[in-house]
Amino acid sequence: MSSDIQDQDSDLDIDPDPDPDADLDPDAETGATPCAYTDYRAGKAADDLPATGAEATGLESAVWDALYEIEDPEMPISIVDLGLIYGVSVDDEDGVATVDMTLTYSGCPARDMLTEEVEEVVVAVDGVEEATLRLVWSPEWTVEFVTERGKDDLREFGLSV
Amino acid sequence: MASSPDEFSEPDDLDERERTALETLCKRLADDEFVLAERYTEWQVRAPTLESDLALANNAQDELGHARLWYDVLGDLGFGERELVYERDPDDFRHSTLVERPFEDGNWADPVLRSYLYDVAEELRLEALADSSYPKIADRVEKIQSEESYHREHAQNWLERLADDEESRERLQTTLDELFAHALTLFEPCAPPRGANEASGDKPRAVDPGVEADIVDLGLRTATLEELGEEWLSIVVPYLESLDLAVPIDGDGDDGFEVTAAALPDERGRDGTHTDAWAELYDEFTRTYRELGRDEPTAIMDAPE
Repeated sequence: MSSDIQDQDSDLDIDPDPDPDADLDPDAETGATPCAYTDYRAGKAADDLPATGAEATGLESAVWDALYEIEDPEMPISIVDLGLIYGVSVDDEDGVATVDMTLTYSGCPARDMLTEEVEEVVVAVDGVEEATLRLVWSPEWTVEFVTERGKDDLREFGLSV
Repeated sequence: MASSPDEFSEPDDLDERERTALETLCKRLADDEFVLAERYTEWQVRAPTLESDLALANNAQDELGHARLWYDVLGDLGFGERELVYERDPDDFRHSTLVERPFEDGNWADPVLRSYLYDVAEELRLEALADSSYPKIADRVEKIQSEESYHREHAQNWLERLADDEESRERLQTTLDELFAHALTLFEPCAPPRGANEASGDKPRAVDPGVEADIVDLGLRTATLEELGEEWLSIVVPYLESLDLAVPIDGDGDDGFEVTAAALPDERGRDGTHTDAWAELYDEFTRTYRELGRDEPTAIMDAPE
């Protein structure tokens, strides 16, 4: 899965070190919440993210437009609105475009599919001679990086964000 | 020339000492994750409940993702997935023997206990990598930590349930007696990569403590193996004892525990020696690659024109 957004909304309060001697009732015999899930909402926002290319001009703007057309493999949302793109820069001299991108999950089985698609789409932009994709992992992606439009798309898809 | 932690070279300018330290560290990290995941997948349709099938499958997927993140760092040294996994000499793998041991059919206590022993160690080593002098290492830590947090909790929940039943606790004890020595190898020094120097894994047990010292001196990791091992013991021993399990280790909590050579298994993984189970596992996970006569690990079809 390339996207791992959860459609629930609650705060878990998990005791990291449950007391094994505690006299627990049967429903809580393990001392922890069953079916725990990752609450991405807890993630911290980064000042310059999400990057959307709103300020970009010229060739960079054209690259952003192309990236907007790429959808996440699992959900009808652009990878830009999902917040996966951390930056785009194009060297006007030699036409080399560099894209910084992350993934929501390190174990994403669509990684190669997605990164190859990004490279193909970017290099196809008029004026781009070469595309370099850098996978980056910091700051860690959180749901805070989804744009307002992306949140609308996800809500329409049936996720509560 | 000696480098201080804050002046580790850029990827293109690494000297021999830096290259060897970086390669040694990333291989021990990645190989642990990869091989553990290979073993976990054996449980994903055999665990005692559907939820634990899913949990083991999910943990395996997490560990494979983390293995890929660590192998990716070695891209800076020119290595790709093919050289690092599918065409690598099995003697060059540097994982702890804990993660390669085979499971006895139906012994659910084993993956639970193994996961606990491993995940405590992983938490500690991730903390010691958060301020790594190599940015690509430090940048990965938070991502991995956020995906790891449930592994240890899952293991502890099951340990406590199993320890509550006499027959299950006996099974845990037997498994602990078998696994504990192998878990200690998590903190053993590595032989350098093959061909790196005279102490490389070309000769079994030719451990070069200098490489492990370099990993810390160069700031790649901010704690020594001894420090990590002692901290790990100070967590796992009292916890396991609180479950009425006897931990096969000398010493006590007041004076610290002592890892003696006698406490370690004959094969330690890190030094290039492995138990027989490793050869079988390696053969298994490389079989499809070999049978398909593949020379590229991931591309399924040619890129479109």
